[in-house]
This record gives sequence, C-alpha cells and structure tokens, in this order.
Amino acid sequence: MGAVEVPETRDRDLIERLLDGDEDAFRGLFHRYAPSAKALAQRVVRQPHLAEEIVQEAFTAVWKDPGAYDGQRGSVRSWLMGMVHHRAVDLVRREEAHRRRVEAAIPQALEEEADHADEVVEQLAAPDERRIVRAALADLPDEQRRVLEMMYFDGLSQSQIAEKTGIPLGTVKSRTLLGMRRMRGALAEVER
Amino acid sequence: MTLDHSLVEELMSANALGGLDDDDTALLLRERAAHGDCAECRVIETGFAETAGRLAFALTPVPIDDSMIDRILASPREEPLAPVAATAADPSDELSERRARLPRAWQALAAAAAVAAVLFVSVGTLARSTTTVNLVSSSQRVVAFEGSNAEATLAMAYTPGEPGAVFWGSGLRDPGAGLVYEIWMIEDGEATSGGCVTPTDGVIALAVDASIGSSEAMAVTSESSDCPASPTGPVVFSADLNTVL
Repeated sequence: MGAVEVPETRDRDLIERLLDGDEDAFRGLFHRYAPSAKALAQRVVRQPHLAEEIVQEAFTAVWKDPGAYDGQRGSVRSWLMGMVHHRAVDLVRREEAHRRRVEAAIPQALEEEADHADEVVEQLAAPDERRIVRAALADLPDEQRRVLEMMYFDGLSQSQIAEKTGIPLGTVKSRTLLGMRRMRGALAEVER
Repeated sequence: MTLDHSLVEELMSANALGGLDDDDTALLLRERAAHGDCAECRVIETGFAETAGRLAFALTPVPIDDSMIDRILASPREEPLAPVAATAADPSDELSERRARLPRAWQALAAAAAVAAVLFVSVGTLARSTTTVNLVSSSQRVVAFEGSNAEATLAMAYTPGEPGAVFWGSGLRDPGAGLVYEIWMIEDGEATSGGCVTPTDGVIALAVDASIGSSEAMAVTSESSDCPASPTGPVVFSADLNTVL
C-alpha cells in the first residue's frame, strides 16, 4: 500500500474560507464528502430520507458555524463523518423498531457491502481514502473487523453485539480495542 | 503521579465507534474527570475519533441531490462570538435580563457564578485543573470545568447538601443543528441528567433543580435535542468534584 497525498491541507483551507462565508468553499466540501456522509448515514439508519436529513443537518451545522472545527482534534473529514455518525447513531438508539430491523438486516447488509466493493464510484468522492480504509479493514482479523462493523455501521452497542453474537462482553471489548488500535496504526502508516 | 490509561483507552476505542453502553459511558465520564487535564487522554481520544471518522470512507458513496446545497446556503449563519474576556468582564444587558429570568432562589448563586467567570477570565484561564473558589459564604462552592475549547469557560455554583446548582458559561460554541449540551452528575458510575441547554451568543445561564448531592464528577456532553436519559455524545466539559478543596 503506497503513500498517497491526503487532501487535509485543502480541506482546512476550505474551512478557513468558510469562516469568511465563501459559498464556493462550502460547495467544494459538500461535493467531496456529502456522498460518503450519506452512505454512512444510510448504512446506520437504513432509510434514505432519514439519511438525507442527517446529512443536511450536519452540513448545515458546518455552514452555520465552521469555527466549530478544531484542527487539534483531527482531520476535517473525520470531523464531518463524526457529526454524521453521531446523529445517525443517536437516531437509531431512539428507535426501538430499528433494533428489530437491524437484527433482520445485518447478515444481508454485510453481504451487500461486500458485493458492492467493486462498484466504487471513483469520481464521486475521496477515492484514495476509500481504497486506503478498505485495505486497512481487510487486513484486520475477521473477528475484530466484524465487531467494528457492527458497532460503527450498524449502530450497535457492545452489549448488543455480545447478545447478538453470543460472544462474551469482555471479548467484544477487547476486540474493539485491538481492532481500533490496529486500524489507527494502519491508517497512520499510510499517512507517513 | 502517572495514571494508568488502559481503561480510558478501552472505553475511548468503543466511544469513538458509538458503541459504549450507558454504564460504560458513565464510567468514561468519571474516568475523564479523574484524569483531569490529561494530554495523553486527548491523544488517545483524538486518535480513535480520527480512525472512526475515516471508517466511513469504506462505504460506497451515495449520490446526493445538489439542491441540498442551496437549501443549506439559504440558512442564516451564526454571528461570530464576542471575545470571552469582554463578555465576562462587561456583562451585557441581555445577560442581565437572562439572569433576571432565573428563578428567584437562584439569583444569588447565578451572581456568584458570574463573578467566578470573571475571576477565571481575569487570570487568563479556564483553569486547567478543577478549581474551587469560595464566594459569598464559606458553604458555597464554585467549580470550574475543564474543556477542550480553550476559549470557553464553564462554572457551576452550588451549596453542598442543598438541592440545585447554577451553571454559567461563556465563549461556548453552538452545539450544532439539532444538538444541545446536556449536564450530567456522576455517582457510583451512574450518570444522571441535570438538564439540557443551548448557548445563546455563546453564553449559558442555567439553574437546575437536581441535587449535586454526593456526585463524584460532573460532565457536559453534546446530545440530540430530545435530551436523552443517558449520555451518548462526546464530552465537552468535565469536573472532578472529589478534588474540590
């Protein structure tokens, strides 16, 4: 996996311009990240119209207060996705019905994602980033990757994962930590 | 003293993924407060948040209607926040009005908290460690919260053993569309909500009826506007009440 140019400098420049109300800067940020943001929200909440609402909420927050971004706490892209993920998980935790939908949909959803792996719309958004993250995920041991996917993409808590899979809660916790450490290391390695 | 970060790291790894259960969220809030101004904690938290955020890019992007851009651009933007020192040292009429709207029983405490905010600013702070200042009476305490936003101050005034507390903050960022700040009291690993609040022009003035009681720590998280019964969002401020003098 070779090193690639990370567009973080460009993103921070867009945020700087956004502080001055530059609409073109907002359009640039939106075109780069909104499709991935919608994919994330849609994966978590499983309903396209709710995913659109979440994306609109998150990007509206960026437009209204770009100063909320703190460069010391990470990249622009992670900040954006964090806002979207937080809203999406918050929504599904409030919907008991969602839990039942997820229970029925998880095996299918994971398979669907694998099926779509070759259908990357390269021209849409952040293709290099997608390749890097997928490679890092693929390098994880299966049991760690599954825990991370269920937690992040399906919005399940650690105890819900333990209940669903029959894995002891302590094991879920240790797999979470080991998986995240490994992902963090792999992604940082690519950046160097 | 060197603190062990193994538990914090484990909790933060799951928190970044949104996977903490309620009791572990409360435990994380308590640990964060116990660690105080902890550089290593920030490194761990930032690293996991960055990692989690990037996981989103594993998914195939979904086309999105460009008309959303115009709808967003049509929404009004926030006015820039006033400088913190000016806000705290020279309270505006609006702030006075806000204080006046507080329940009568809390006005004295609110004034004490406002004085505390001025004190904190005047020494060029939000203090990096939890601090208490005795004001008005020896039984009353004012605690400064720690936060990641160096421009923000948040203080709590309360009287131990008596119900209620007053929160006063300035320089706070808007939590974002559909989000609020929620105050938590933490005792025996359980987080109890003290209420939700949204800053106006970066300022919070809030009286809560909940009893601080024997809480070990306090925390403020960013939550959805329906004010959930258990914390789910990131910690914005925290204070360890056990270290209060």
